Amino acid sequence: MADLISLSGIKRHYDVGGEVVRALDGVDLTIQQNEYISIMGPSGSGKSTLMNMIGCLDTPTEGIYEFEGELVHEMDDNQLASIRNRKIGFVFQTFNLLPKATALRNVEVPLIYANISRSERIDRAKKALIAVGLEERMHHKPNELSGGQRQRVAIARALVNDPSIILADEPTGNLDSKSGVEIMKILDKLHNNGNTIILVTHEEYIADHAERTINLFDGKIKDDIRTAKRKVGT
Amino acid sequence: MLGLFWENLRISLGSIFANKTRSILTALGIVIGVLSVTLMGTLISGLDRTFEKSMAGFRSDVLMISRMEWFSGDTDWWEMRNRPRIREEYAEKLLDRSQFVEAVAPVSERGGSIMRDDKRIDSRFFGTTPNYLQTNISAEVENGRFFTDGENRSGARVLVIGGDVADALFPDEDPIDKYVKIGNYKFRVIGVLKKMGKFMGLFSMDNQATMPFGTYKRLYARRGWTTLRVKLNTKDVDSAKEEVQGIFRQIRRLKPTEKDNFGINQSSTLEAQYKAIKLAIGGTGIFITALSLIVGGIGIMNIMFVSVKERTREIGVRKALGATQTMILGQFLMEAVMICLIAGLVGMGMAYGLSMVINKFFPSAMPIGLAVGSILLSVIIGVVSGLVPSYRAARLDPIDALRYE
Repeated sequence: MADLISLSGIKRHYDVGGEVVRALDGVDLTIQQNEYISIMGPSGSGKSTLMNMIGCLDTPTEGIYEFEGELVHEMDDNQLASIRNRKIGFVFQTFNLLPKATALRNVEVPLIYANISRSERIDRAKKALIAVGLEERMHHKPNELSGGQRQRVAIARALVNDPSIILADEPTGNLDSKSGVEIMKILDKLHNNGNTIILVTHEEYIADHAERTINLFDGKIKDDIRTAKRKVGT
Repeated sequence: MLGLFWENLRISLGSIFANKTRSILTALGIVIGVLSVTLMGTLISGLDRTFEKSMAGFRSDVLMISRMEWFSGDTDWWEMRNRPRIREEYAEKLLDRSQFVEAVAPVSERGGSIMRDDKRIDSRFFGTTPNYLQTNISAEVENGRFFTDGENRSGARVLVIGGDVADALFPDEDPIDKYVKIGNYKFRVIGVLKKMGKFMGLFSMDNQATMPFGTYKRLYARRGWTTLRVKLNTKDVDSAKEEVQGIFRQIRRLKPTEKDNFGINQSSTLEAQYKAIKLAIGGTGIFITALSLIVGGIGIMNIMFVSVKERTREIGVRKALGATQTMILGQFLMEAVMICLIAGLVGMGMAYGLSMVINKFFPSAMPIGLAVGSILLSVIIGVVSGLVPSYRAARLDPIDALRYE
């Protein structure tokens, strides 16, 4: 089977005040369909840069990035926007919902940019919200929702375009432990349903949900461990 | 793409209404700008229409010969002041010698009160000959008759009054054959002129009375200046004017080296002068009011920069979710345009209302082209002032934007 994602020799260097910061310094990585991966590492190890790279928010200074056969490292801004829209679902630590829009409207946003008709948009957004158990809260605005509920809206938004991967950056970082557990359950379930999930975290117990843990250090992959057992979903 | 248009419209309206105070204050600049530009345009167009209407009495084929040029140009005022009088006799001579002149009427004019019992009106009265009617097409006798040559020669105390005078002195009776007094002289009213309206909306052309030139001469001697109204029988005003000038130089016995000591005026000089004044007033007015629109546009630009800054994170999120630069540009451009469009509509509405009020005192009406133009102008201002902030939003790096606190 062809790789879903393939990174080879990826380097990302920043020029900070005349000094070159090597955020990523030669990363080789392949990801298959339906993998459940956690990316770990101390701050400054390049976690965020790698996530931005995989999420097509950033392009490498050097190296080859292939996403389902598309060459991401050669793309311009519009092509990157398009691939983010079609293939990637983002879940952020701080939820990043639009504060003045209802849950439903928030989930609709990726579909708007995919130029999907209004009726189909609402239909699909509702389904996504039902999938994360928010059928009762669709017309609430973020400030009327709890932290856990907000993150579920964000997951619904990440799911709604049927992406190839879901990228979750510290998805439980801003949540109490109970809500955190709920969110992880949802992610586990999505994985069991066949989704590919990449978690960025520095919490061991969050990383334990994944089947494969990649440790970064100084912009390089220190180790890439496949945990033997496959999680049984809830 | 149409779906995205409605979406952007929805987002921008949402954002405008979410920050009501800010939006209103920002829009105020544009409202004032559009209001003043539209109002200025309305007034100028009203002025134009009034001018045309007022000029109906001064047909282009009528020359007015008087001691002075209306618009003297470089001729010294004192030089003109000391020129010899225009005499009544010139009228006959001009009519005899010219091939282009159809009728000539001398007109002298002075101000004074016209009284009847306890009623009085401050008015102007003219002395002229029966030919006057031929030289002024807007003068028309509505009731009664104009005076005759016989009355003119004999200096009969008869008076043709304007509509305003009739209204003031004879509110509810027929003025014909009634008597009025000017100073100590008693006049019989023989006719009432049809109303001509106001000249440039400023003073009424109906507040006047006309008496035979012979009478005027007898009562007021040589006080006041005389103007000759000359009706031409040709549209070729320039040739006629040249001929009349020649004849006048003969009458005045001017040597070839001497300059004219009379002025031949025509409505086109008035028109040309009016156009110059209109251009100066209108141009300056539009320029100054357009400045207020530019200030309004700067306000929009400023607030759009704030809006973009405030929503940096939102822009980051939208980009992460797949918005392209064009989509983000469209979103913010739409917001700027919507503020301006709404403000433009409000400003135009206010200008329309105000023009109705002003119309009570001074003729004004908003032309439809101006209304459409002002709306178009506000949209353009929206685009121009929204472009730089929107471009900045579109160019934001998604990673930086997402990290923005």
